[in-house]
Amino acid sequence: MQKKLFGLLSLLVLLSLALTACGGGAATEAPAEEPAATEEAPAATEEAPAATEAAAEEITLTLGSWRVDDVAAWEAINAAFHEKYPNITVKFDPTNPPDYNATLRTQLETGTGPDLYFVRSFATGRELFDAGYVASLKDLPGINDSFTEASRAPWATETGEPYAVPIIAVSHGVYYNKEIFAANGIEVPATWEELMAASQTLLDAGVIPFANGTKDAWDINEVVMMQFIPSNIGGFEGRMAYLNGDRCFNSEEMVASFQQIDDMQPYLPNGFEAVSYYDAAQLFAQGQAAMMMDGSWSIGAFEKDATDFEWGVFYPPALEGKDTYVTFHIDAAIGANAASPNLEAAMTFLEFLESSDFAGLLGNNLPGFFPLTKDVPTLSDPIAADFMAFNESAAGVDIRFVWEKLLAAPSGSVDAYTSLNNNVIAVLKDEKTPQEAADAFNADLAAWYEPAAGCK
Amino acid sequence: MSQTMLNKSGSAGFLNPKNRLTLTWVLFLLPALLVYLTFMAGPLFDSLRLSLYTGEGYNPTEFVGFQNYINLFTNPLWREKFINAFTNTCIFFAIHMLVQNTLGLLFANLLSTDFKGRNFFRTIIFAPATLSVLVVGFLWTLILNPQWGAVNKIFMAMDLKQFALPWLGRENLALPVISLTSVWQWVGMPTVMFLAGLMGISDELLEAARIDGASEWDIFWRIKFPLLKPVIGVVAILTFVDNFNAFDIIYAMAGAKGEPGYSTDLLATLFYRTGIAGEHPVGIPDMGMGAAIATMTFAILMTGVLSWLYFSRKQATE
Repeated sequence: MQKKLFGLLSLLVLLSLALTACGGGAATEAPAEEPAATEEAPAATEEAPAATEAAAEEITLTLGSWRVDDVAAWEAINAAFHEKYPNITVKFDPTNPPDYNATLRTQLETGTGPDLYFVRSFATGRELFDAGYVASLKDLPGINDSFTEASRAPWATETGEPYAVPIIAVSHGVYYNKEIFAANGIEVPATWEELMAASQTLLDAGVIPFANGTKDAWDINEVVMMQFIPSNIGGFEGRMAYLNGDRCFNSEEMVASFQQIDDMQPYLPNGFEAVSYYDAAQLFAQGQAAMMMDGSWSIGAFEKDATDFEWGVFYPPALEGKDTYVTFHIDAAIGANAASPNLEAAMTFLEFLESSDFAGLLGNNLPGFFPLTKDVPTLSDPIAADFMAFNESAAGVDIRFVWEKLLAAPSGSVDAYTSLNNNVIAVLKDEKTPQEAADAFNADLAAWYEPAAGCK
Repeated sequence: MSQTMLNKSGSAGFLNPKNRLTLTWVLFLLPALLVYLTFMAGPLFDSLRLSLYTGEGYNPTEFVGFQNYINLFTNPLWREKFINAFTNTCIFFAIHMLVQNTLGLLFANLLSTDFKGRNFFRTIIFAPATLSVLVVGFLWTLILNPQWGAVNKIFMAMDLKQFALPWLGRENLALPVISLTSVWQWVGMPTVMFLAGLMGISDELLEAARIDGASEWDIFWRIKFPLLKPVIGVVAILTFVDNFNAFDIIYAMAGAKGEPGYSTDLLATLFYRTGIAGEHPVGIPDMGMGAAIATMTFAILMTGVLSWLYFSRKQATE
């Protein structure tokens, strides 16, 4: 009897060991339902004061965001807003970027979402609108006049109904060490061929030409490959040809972009396969690498870290005979929570985002993040101003290639971002030729993206 | 006081002392059982239920029966991902089993003999186990860095350029290298358990063997090893459960995507990406499919643990 009980007990203990195994899954899933019950309470209490509150009374709005690094800048912006509307206080409440989408979704589903929040472009934001979580802005005064249609489009329905105010774009370019360039007699290149020749000169001189690596994967995709594509395909119009199915994703323009990746390979650091985004930034900031392809968001980091030498930025030039198109990626917009008890105050804040006051505050407090209002104020940061100047000298600007429509792959198929990323790395590791990589990219998309179905 | 209580409970209908004893057992179990049911079994069954649903975000509401499982095994992409993660987990487990536990046995055997500096070595071997996995992952990522890491610097200094590899950047290297990092961290655990087992072997047995002229090699294989078998079994099953759940070291050294090219993707990282975090840049999870992957992991663990139980009990009765 005793023995049997003991056996039963040890079975129980072992089973619970095995269960904790999956408990990792189960435990994390459980909270998904629990907050609904426990956090309903604060939501309800928030509602109560809202009902009694008249316009003149104190209102506090929360602003959800994925920009954890920008707390100081947003506090300055919110303080300026508070000065203008003394009865409304806005509290910036960011979430760690990788968790943002999922966290926001949980909050909205359980009625604890922030009053205002950053909305991702295209499909991800659109889902929130379709689910009724983000308020329509068709009645917001001035939204159509303050922004171009291209800026509004990532947060508007097919009929042009907007649901978020576009606030931030980011640009991309090549950060370069002016001293290394001068020491090797290199000018800022005007064509891709010149850039490659310069890289060879640097390599012969014992300098790492490009700091970029592939350990973190996303950076080679977002700040390198997606800068080559627009110049090869011809910017916005070219991208539309792919989205409409007029061009296949393994067209010669796409092969040329993969070829540029292949061209770069000898000029990446030794062991670039294990060089992370952070490592790359360090290589450049310590003056060991002459260039790094990166986003405008790194201005602040380099201004702090790369203080031993003069540096600047240029846009990766197109292949000889082609026009250069700049990837100016419209990245973020702010929308209002349709269920917010303070929707009216939230709308006031959204209107403030259309003003040139806000544009100036944003552009100057966050160098490298560009406001989207039609009349852009002059930016005080010289590098940020250089990035802005790319747009004027370019044949055209466009957002990143895969963002519109191509991310919404159904479960069990590969989206354009992942496919492009995998194929770029395969080219760098000599596992695929540029042609093979483009063919694989095309095959992944033709499998689910209907306009490309004829490309199989 | 206790006397009266005993009398009271006695008068409450417990007929004979033997019966009372068994029932008290159950009463003592009850609180633990309740906690266990609420916090372990409950969520587990909820997770099983969830695997039958689909829908985006955190409230999958559409009932789809076994469709998630069917997709997991018939859709070529899902199947490839799952088989890849399963194979990687098996390799991860095999490396721990072979390297970590063999080293543990070796260290324990050495530490069980008397020599100068024994405590020092014991501390050194166990120390990494007290560090946070994230710290260990970060340290080793730095040590293995191709540009300024110590490992490659040493190879370069020895003029062995061909060995200065991007350890964490190659598909065929990353998983073994990360597994060995984890072995380095956890080797103290089996060492301590084996050491305790060895301490439990009576000195008389060893002395008698020595007097009979047995070599240390014979003593190990004919006396120590057979007597350690139960401990080896426990260590093996703990390694199995730990490794099939492994997530943190991969997350720290290769990221949630199991870079490079999914070559370090384990069942737990696949589950995390699918069911909790979603994939960059969209990041919307598919909780139903995630739960299906978690259930499959559970089934694998369950099979392993139950068969171990069966065999160890069979052995015990023989």
